Amino acid sequence: MKKLFIPLLFISMSAFCQEQKSTTSLYPRSIGNIEFDPNLDKKEFQLCRSDVDVQYYSGKNDTNYQGDKEMIEKAFKEKYNPENAKNESGLIRIRFIVNCKGETDRFRVIGMDENYQKKIFDKSITEQLLRISKNLKGWMPKNFTSKTNEVFSYDYYQYLIFKIKNGQLIEILP
Amino acid sequence: MRNTLLILFLLPFATHAQLNCKAYLYTGDTARYKACILVENIDSLYGQFMRPFHEKYDEALKIAPNFDYAYREKSTAYLKSGDFITWKKLIDKAVELNWRLNLGYRGWCRYQFFRDYEGAIKDIELLDSLAKYDIGYSQNGDYHLNIAKGICYSAIGQKQKAIQIFNLQINTPNYEAGLYDYFQLGVTYFEVKDYQNALICFEKQAKINNLADNEYLKAKTNKILGNTAEYEKSKELAIKLFNENKKLFDPYTHHFNKVYYSSIVND
Repeated sequence: MKKLFIPLLFISMSAFCQEQKSTTSLYPRSIGNIEFDPNLDKKEFQLCRSDVDVQYYSGKNDTNYQGDKEMIEKAFKEKYNPENAKNESGLIRIRFIVNCKGETDRFRVIGMDENYQKKIFDKSITEQLLRISKNLKGWMPKNFTSKTNEVFSYDYYQYLIFKIKNGQLIEILP
Repeated sequence: MRNTLLILFLLPFATHAQLNCKAYLYTGDTARYKACILVENIDSLYGQFMRPFHEKYDEALKIAPNFDYAYREKSTAYLKSGDFITWKKLIDKAVELNWRLNLGYRGWCRYQFFRDYEGAIKDIELLDSLAKYDIGYSQNGDYHLNIAKGICYSAIGQKQKAIQIFNLQINTPNYEAGLYDYFQLGVTYFEVKDYQNALICFEKQAKINNLADNEYLKAKTNKILGNTAEYEKSKELAIKLFNENKKLFDPYTHHFNKVYYSSIVND
């Protein structure tokens, strides 16, 4: 056990030391971090830990959504209607946090054209995708079981990428 | 305890290919050797998403601006967080500095993470035209890059071209069919309504690595061919395999032609 704790202590201390000198860093504490923004985020959305360090792909589950990705695709197929933006193509990513209760918030949007250049899509597309994403209620928290069979739930980062071709939603990732 | 559990949980995802810094010395590239030494053990200290990880690679790039490995490593967190714009800038730099090690990887990632089929085809075909050797496998080892290219052609609707590419690769001397090669070929035959060849492929796939997805497609093919007993048998087996977790799985995204459980049970 001692052997385990020494490297862990070292990792924690290293992270702490970096935190102290990080005010001028080019990088956030962790790539893709989403800090609370009072203008965008719900005040009542609570995290179970002060920092979110888990990404969507961590853990043993093959899906983070009840009913699998199929249910996500179904929701967008039923609700997405691209009537006003038929010339828009590229990718839109919506990244957000799923907390340990399976609730979501801190949604952030980026877009690119088909050449990986930043693109701001027509609002009729992004607002719809954002609204549908915010209404997805099947996200599951990530649970990890310790050797003593204690179950811990963690908050994690999830994203959805929407592949748009001439305004049509043709694929959802990951 | 919570912190211990979390760190233990995250560490496996921070480990990947080991660097061999001495390789730079053999080519007389002392700058890249020094840069490499600086980050040699970084994976045991920091995860790919962490600030010090990126700062350390930036230091390495100050020592050796042509250290392509640093750009590739820095790109990974952006790739896995879905930040396609930053990822592309970094991986392009890696490719520009060393196409041999990075071009196939970029092509694969374009497919795997962004379903950029045309972009992936372009990269894999460019690699094929430049390399005088076998272009190798995807980063996760699931597919030979030629099979990945075939998948991309299939995805953009060029089914016959995809079939030709799959067959060419599978029949290459000394090539051993991959974990999912016959499944992808079988699905493509199925899509062009060549059910006899589809069935042959699903049966070959079953012998190599049977999966719920494969067995379900086999059931569907048998149903179309009027083999009712075989259809029932394969459908039942597909459900069993699914419940045993024997199915197409990729921790980062979904496999091409993945089958959902509801499709099997509702067929």
